[in-house]
Amino acid sequence: MYHEITVWTRGIIMDKEARDIVNCVATGAEKLGYYAQFISDYIDDPDRTNCLVHKYARFGDEPIADRFVYENANPDWVVLVEETLVKASNFFRGTPDGEGVLVVNSAREPEYLLKFLPEFMLAKLKKLVVVDAVALAEQEGGSPWMFVRDLGQLAFDRTSTEGAAERSEVGIGVAAPLLGALIAATGVLPLEAVQETVSDKEAFSRGAEHHKVLDYAQAQVREAAAQPI
Amino acid sequence: MSVKGTTIPPHLRLPLAGVTPAPTEEAGQVLFPTGNFRFYRPVYKDKTPPCNHACPTGEQIQKYLDFVKHERFLDGYLTIMEDNPMPSVTGRVCYHPCEGACNRKDHDEPIGIRNVERFLGDFGLELAEDPIKDNLPATNGKHVAVVGAGPGGLACAYHLRRLGYRITILEALSKPGGMLRGGIPHWHLPEDVLNSEVDKIEGLGDIEIKCNTRVGTEISWDDLKSYDAAFLALGQDVGRKLPVEGSNLRGVMGGLEFVREAGFNKPVKVGKKVIVVGGGNTASDAARSALRLGAEEVTIVSLEDPDELLIVPEDLEQGKDEGVQFKTNTACARILGEDGVVTGAVLCEAHLTKDEEGNVTPQMTEGTEYEVECDNVMIAIGQVQHLDWIPDHLIEGGLLKADSYGRLEDSIFAGGDIIRGPAMAVDALGDGKRAARNIDKVVTALELAPDEPVEVMPYERLNTAYFKHAPRIEAPLTPPEERIRDQEIEVTLAYTQEQAITESDRCMSCGVCNGCDNCYIVCPDVSVMRDTRENGAYSIRTKYCKGCLVCVQECPTGCLEKVPELDFEDEGDVTRMETAFSVYDGSHAEQSIPIAKLQEEAIAEYDAARRRRVGASTGNGRGR
Repeated sequence: MYHEITVWTRGIIMDKEARDIVNCVATGAEKLGYYAQFISDYIDDPDRTNCLVHKYARFGDEPIADRFVYENANPDWVVLVEETLVKASNFFRGTPDGEGVLVVNSAREPEYLLKFLPEFMLAKLKKLVVVDAVALAEQEGGSPWMFVRDLGQLAFDRTSTEGAAERSEVGIGVAAPLLGALIAATGVLPLEAVQETVSDKEAFSRGAEHHKVLDYAQAQVREAAAQPI
Repeated sequence: MSVKGTTIPPHLRLPLAGVTPAPTEEAGQVLFPTGNFRFYRPVYKDKTPPCNHACPTGEQIQKYLDFVKHERFLDGYLTIMEDNPMPSVTGRVCYHPCEGACNRKDHDEPIGIRNVERFLGDFGLELAEDPIKDNLPATNGKHVAVVGAGPGGLACAYHLRRLGYRITILEALSKPGGMLRGGIPHWHLPEDVLNSEVDKIEGLGDIEIKCNTRVGTEISWDDLKSYDAAFLALGQDVGRKLPVEGSNLRGVMGGLEFVREAGFNKPVKVGKKVIVVGGGNTASDAARSALRLGAEEVTIVSLEDPDELLIVPEDLEQGKDEGVQFKTNTACARILGEDGVVTGAVLCEAHLTKDEEGNVTPQMTEGTEYEVECDNVMIAIGQVQHLDWIPDHLIEGGLLKADSYGRLEDSIFAGGDIIRGPAMAVDALGDGKRAARNIDKVVTALELAPDEPVEVMPYERLNTAYFKHAPRIEAPLTPPEERIRDQEIEVTLAYTQEQAITESDRCMSCGVCNGCDNCYIVCPDVSVMRDTRENGAYSIRTKYCKGCLVCVQECPTGCLEKVPELDFEDEGDVTRMETAFSVYDGSHAEQSIPIAKLQEEAIAEYDAARRRRVGASTGNGRGR
């Protein structure tokens, strides 16, 4: 058993949300006795606002051999912290055909998001999971997004060591329901084990309960996706 | 990244990998399409300014103010003429609902829209040739009858003529103009201005105004039906009678009839003391006209509270300046006379009560009667119209019963006071425009459809930091002691050209792009393109716009909006790159192909070195 998780996000403003997701998955897996790693992205200029940024995690029951490589070559779980990323990049590069689980933070219908995926990306898709994490997250102040609500907190977050020693709590805001949906929809790790590593445990449960899954492996869903909506 | 002497592995020798490519003069930002940074897209969405929305004719006020600001007076004039054929008239007499709606009132003071309109209207009247006339279509053979040459009828004829129709206007009185001539005194609207505006419309050709033709007597309802379509704008020009004792005495007259006689230049005389009964604008006009005709003491007697008078505030103020006296909460109980001539009136305290349905009834307080002397009593308590020649089922409560399109039945439409009760001239002008549009649809067998709902720009959505406070320029007035000497002295005077430009410059262009260049200047990514300086001619380069929304935030007028990027579904709306720095699709993959091999080599080298050091066991193994 071996899984690679790549979380796509936007530089600076949504950095912590993605970092928390890989952090919690890896920490949870490690506690369960798996071999696990997680790491931030450095090559894509993550210090740039709105820039596309990845965070990586991987876990398995055998030692992880790639000591010098932090990019996930074959991610099978992909999380998009913000919905527009659906049409912003090829996040399925290297994903084995029909293996990709895509988790998107969006209030839209899965069918609507599906039409932004071109043929070569649909070929990789196994399951599309849509969770309205912004609505499910704790409604703190004006918005669960730190960049909308509190630029001071965002600056504070940027002074952390990218997950090695967090100053804010790990697993808050939009990250918690996204994690819940990811873990529930994949079903590989037990929910409780990951929930333990998450600070906002209630939002995690909400995400685990309230998300829409579109099983793309089913033939009728494929046919429906081929029809223009 | 690289240091001299270090070997860069081949897979990292990619052009510009990991390095932000500087935009070059030739290629610009082509190498680096940052459009996928964006999750909100700035979109130019013009909204309806409140002034435009409030105007019954739908004048594009923001647009012509912008033209005036840039000294493009002809363009401004033509913009008004799209909607309103007589700006010189409305520029003088309109009760300016636009200024009441103006967002600038929340900022400092509303813009003097009416005075700018008057400036443009007078500019248009002074043109040697009518620019509208040059662009008229040939007539299409259809013939429309318009009943009443008031503002509604004239507007309908104007708009129909511009759509290619031939029009015959049937007017009961001796001159066209309707209430503009018979209900508005010359000191408010000079006769020659009205004549010029009417001549301008008649001069378009194929518009025939038949005066002294009263429909109902000379022309019947069935005659009207013989036309391709008809528009009834009869107005309400019969003054309501005051049902009290003595109202048939000599010296008692209708306020409206008095103003009309004066308006048609007929000899009218008033005594020294005049009482005007009524609390509306006709009462005010009658009272002020009486002053100009030699009355020494004019008193307006009205049932309303002082702050509930229906006279528009500026007229009320001007009237007070001229010496009109007011007796509010007062009713006229009786008119006294000797030998059939008025000698006085009995007034009493009274007030209006409103019942649950909103009907207003006067309540007189008994025992408060007192007598006053007077030579004339003018009654200005509302108007009606004779409708006995119109089929009964089209009449309701003294008004014509029109649907929301202004249609009575088939191709017969109505508008103006006769469908809405006494209202503004601009309401009639708007009804005329609407009727012309709908008549054209009916005649060409198109479906009538309600107007599209519009989004009106509220003050809160403007970026008010960009608008410095500036006082409204009030139109100059002729001094009261001078203006009450004659009927023909205009009270409100015109803006100078400089004043019109300065006042137009105060317009905040609510919700409509006025080409201020702000978005173009503030965009940090050179993603706002400006091809021409016409309104709304900016475009966003979506391949490069990073969605920082600085333009949206800094748009003074609020015409730029942020729209979620995922709302755009077209193929061309997708900028898909692997990452921002994957300079072409697949460059990251090239990195990853030899990576496993390199890894193995590196690990083997590391392990070998370690083995060598351990095997040699010479010191710490450092410093090769």
